[in-house]
Amino acid sequence: MTAFARLLRGQSTIDFPTWWKRALVLSALLVLISIGSLFTRGLSLGIDFVGGVSWEVPAPGVSVSDARQALTEVGQEGAKIQIVGDDTLRVQGPEMDDAGVASVREVLADVAGTEVAEVSVSTVGASWGSDITNAAVRALFFFFAAILIYLTIRLEWRMAVAALVAVAHDVLISVGVYSVFQFDVTPGTVIAFLTILGYSIYDTIVVDDKIKENERLVGLSGRMDYTQMVSLSMNQVLLRSINTTITSLLPVISLLVVGGAIMGAVTLQEFALALFVGLAVGAYSSIFVAAPALVWLKEKEPKNQTVRERLAASGGGVSGADPDARGVAAGVRGAKAVSAATTTSTSSSSAGTPSSSAGTGRPKPPTPSSAIPPRPRKKTKKR
Amino acid sequence: MRRFRGFGSLIVIVVVATFGLVYTFGVGNKPLLGLDLQGGVSVVLQPTNEVTEETLEQAISIIRQRVDALGVAEPEITRQGDNILIQIPGVDDRDRALALVGQTAELQFRPVLGAIPAGLDLESAPTDTPAPGDSSDTTTEAPDTTAPDTTAPDATDETEQGLGLGVGESAGGVVAQSAFESAQAEPPPEPAPDTTAPAAPEGTDTTLAPPIDATELLTGGLPADVCTTGIPSSELPPDENVTLPQCEEGVLVATYQLGPVLLTGAGLESAAASLFGAEWQVSPVFKGGSEGIDAFNGAASQCFSQSPSCPTGQLGIVLDGRVISAPTIQTPTFSRDEVSITGQFTEREARDLATALNYGALPVELEQQQAQLVSATLGRDALEAGLVAGVVGLVLASAYMITVYRFLGLLSVLKLTVEGALLWTVISYLGSNSGLALTLAGITGIIVSIGVSFDSNVVYYEHLKEDVRAGRSIRSATDKSFVAAFSTIVKADVASLIGAGLLWWLTVGPVRGFAFYLGIAGLLDLLASWAFMRPAVKLATKSSFLRARPGLLGLPAEVPPTGARPTDPPVAASTAGAAR
Repeated sequence: MTAFARLLRGQSTIDFPTWWKRALVLSALLVLISIGSLFTRGLSLGIDFVGGVSWEVPAPGVSVSDARQALTEVGQEGAKIQIVGDDTLRVQGPEMDDAGVASVREVLADVAGTEVAEVSVSTVGASWGSDITNAAVRALFFFFAAILIYLTIRLEWRMAVAALVAVAHDVLISVGVYSVFQFDVTPGTVIAFLTILGYSIYDTIVVDDKIKENERLVGLSGRMDYTQMVSLSMNQVLLRSINTTITSLLPVISLLVVGGAIMGAVTLQEFALALFVGLAVGAYSSIFVAAPALVWLKEKEPKNQTVRERLAASGGGVSGADPDARGVAAGVRGAKAVSAATTTSTSSSSAGTPSSSAGTGRPKPPTPSSAIPPRPRKKTKKR
Repeated sequence: MRRFRGFGSLIVIVVVATFGLVYTFGVGNKPLLGLDLQGGVSVVLQPTNEVTEETLEQAISIIRQRVDALGVAEPEITRQGDNILIQIPGVDDRDRALALVGQTAELQFRPVLGAIPAGLDLESAPTDTPAPGDSSDTTTEAPDTTAPDTTAPDATDETEQGLGLGVGESAGGVVAQSAFESAQAEPPPEPAPDTTAPAAPEGTDTTLAPPIDATELLTGGLPADVCTTGIPSSELPPDENVTLPQCEEGVLVATYQLGPVLLTGAGLESAAASLFGAEWQVSPVFKGGSEGIDAFNGAASQCFSQSPSCPTGQLGIVLDGRVISAPTIQTPTFSRDEVSITGQFTEREARDLATALNYGALPVELEQQQAQLVSATLGRDALEAGLVAGVVGLVLASAYMITVYRFLGLLSVLKLTVEGALLWTVISYLGSNSGLALTLAGITGIIVSIGVSFDSNVVYYEHLKEDVRAGRSIRSATDKSFVAAFSTIVKADVASLIGAGLLWWLTVGPVRGFAFYLGIAGLLDLLASWAFMRPAVKLATKSSFLRARPGLLGLPAEVPPTGARPTDPPVAASTAGAAR
């Protein structure tokens, strides 16, 4: 069976713990670059954050130098001039009085050979930007708090913390990308970043739910410690994660390519770029950041330590005392054995978990697999 | 009937979605396009100081009336935190809209002590300046003017000029009428021409009393750019004399010396512009009592008798540190609804003056934080790009779902269609009835929610595949997987909803529109997942035709792994028997 076929069958045997180590290096590197860039290069903030005036006019065939020449006549030679999207001329300058705004508007209409009414103008006071930023930061703070509480109730606090670590990682790297490439940060970008939070959480919850479902396997089977169980869960949800990411990314790519690049809608491009970056990072982090963070937290738990020590002492387990130290080959072999053993156990395990037992659990005959000890019969509601 | 248990919700949601669409098209509900999609003006105003809830609401209602007076189809004025967001779609005359919306200071009535037109030049200043334009016509057409045409220049140490001659139009219907003239009647003259005092709106009998300081003459001691910078109302003590400009379209046309406030906009109840005969006039209605008509009559009698406190006989109307009009009082007392202001108004001038008067008494000082004018073309392009991108994204994502999940993928597209129909109904309803505008950010939110909707299906279908592969029959897996998957979907969707709710609550402007539609889409997804996806998939897996061809369902074969017994023997056996 090829790796791809195994993936399609949900039986991929990637040894995630080894990948986590590499991912840790990668993530640390990206985060360091992001932070470094933020401190040295900073962000290219749009006028919505620093205050100023922005004019936009469809001006096919007009070059930046044409525009600059015309603007010099009204004393706006210092303005930032860009051709954005398809053929839209965008000029940005510092705050000025109404008469100044109007004169630039006329000049631009002239240059573009169009009506004054065709020139869009946006003026932003300097304090407005800090208001937006404050609102976003406040929203971020409350979001973190609310998600922490919600996930703690629905899952457990370690998962909540791990999810937030992943989200923070995503936001940091997304912002880092904007800093490194000096993309303009606009309100659209902020919206996108805030959306990324939701997506990142979504992905992480899907993974965490699976882990929760499999948690029962730890120790019970006598073959698996927490790390392995998470690795197994990762393999089981890998296709799910890939598919949710693809279905989320396709519309965003369409926004970016069709809406932004082809049709020239600048705002759409701004939204989509940040979304694209964030979604990609978010999909990565749910597997390579949230999961190892969770494992790290969980392996500190006494009961999981006991399991690990017992497995190490018995020597029967596939895991050594330090699960992270295993080689790839051993990991794959271990995961294979585990996945073979659990193909039948998945359903029985999920039937008994609290989240899924309502109304569906059905007493099961003992499973023939020797890997999983029979679950005690449990009285549940009959359908 | 037992076979169909659980399918009620499917029927209900499809019927509701269908009726929603029929209703929407029947009633003619359409989404209200935000101004970034159709062009228009958007302004964010923020109080400069702490304000109470009530004051802010009052300010909003006043602004709403002002905007309504612009005659724009669907203005949207909302409060977001302490900010007031005003969106006026489809207006091209941005400056006018902004000016009306932005007039935020208190309306004051102050007696005119004296006035000089801007641009008066010492050498050429004639002692008898002819008034330009139609203002002299006004004078000659005022047969029963009772107010004197000249001013009593003894009240101030500055040059005084009688601006604004009374124009008595005692036509029938108006009992006691004060004939005012508009200070805004003229188009702005070129600043500082050589020979005339062009900015004097009226005044055939201009008397200049030399000597005059030349620079003071130009601007009356005010900064030359006072019309763009304005004078903060904090520098306008109500009980002292002040010097204020009169501006037209940003150009200083005259400077007034004004006495203490005699009456504020709080005394005004309303004002309307109307066509009286061939003339446009403005009729303010005052409130009763000492704050309203009594105070006005006090002012009127002072000015009518040209007492030292109101030597010119004119009562200046001051808004935002600018004189918007200085009518001459021609009757000593008025009933509260019998006042009218006349002059050579055009319809627009009359309406603008009425608007300024009517809603001039903003109880709170507001600062413009952000103003945006979007051209209609840009808006249309953005809408088009958003729609095309949305359709392409939808097609791509749908194609992917169908490729991977075959018939189940098709079901997820149907589920998205149901969600789309419901969303359209909601957007159109709110757009037509609550003024909720669909912005570009909103469209993005909706496009993004396509992904969220499909994600729910992916979670379910992958769960289903796992369970079938683990040896369950497709039928039993359908029920069991849904419970587990739905629990995941709820957790994930609720997390999204929390995010959307917080965004909506804590942010302003476009972020809110985005959060709103993302939130609505999240709710609809929860609803459609339960009411549509669950029974639809169940129906599909009930079909023996499809169950015999799991490839069509995008599911693995039902046969459990070799050597292993089915996990769920009774059901598996019975289904197997039924299927084959």
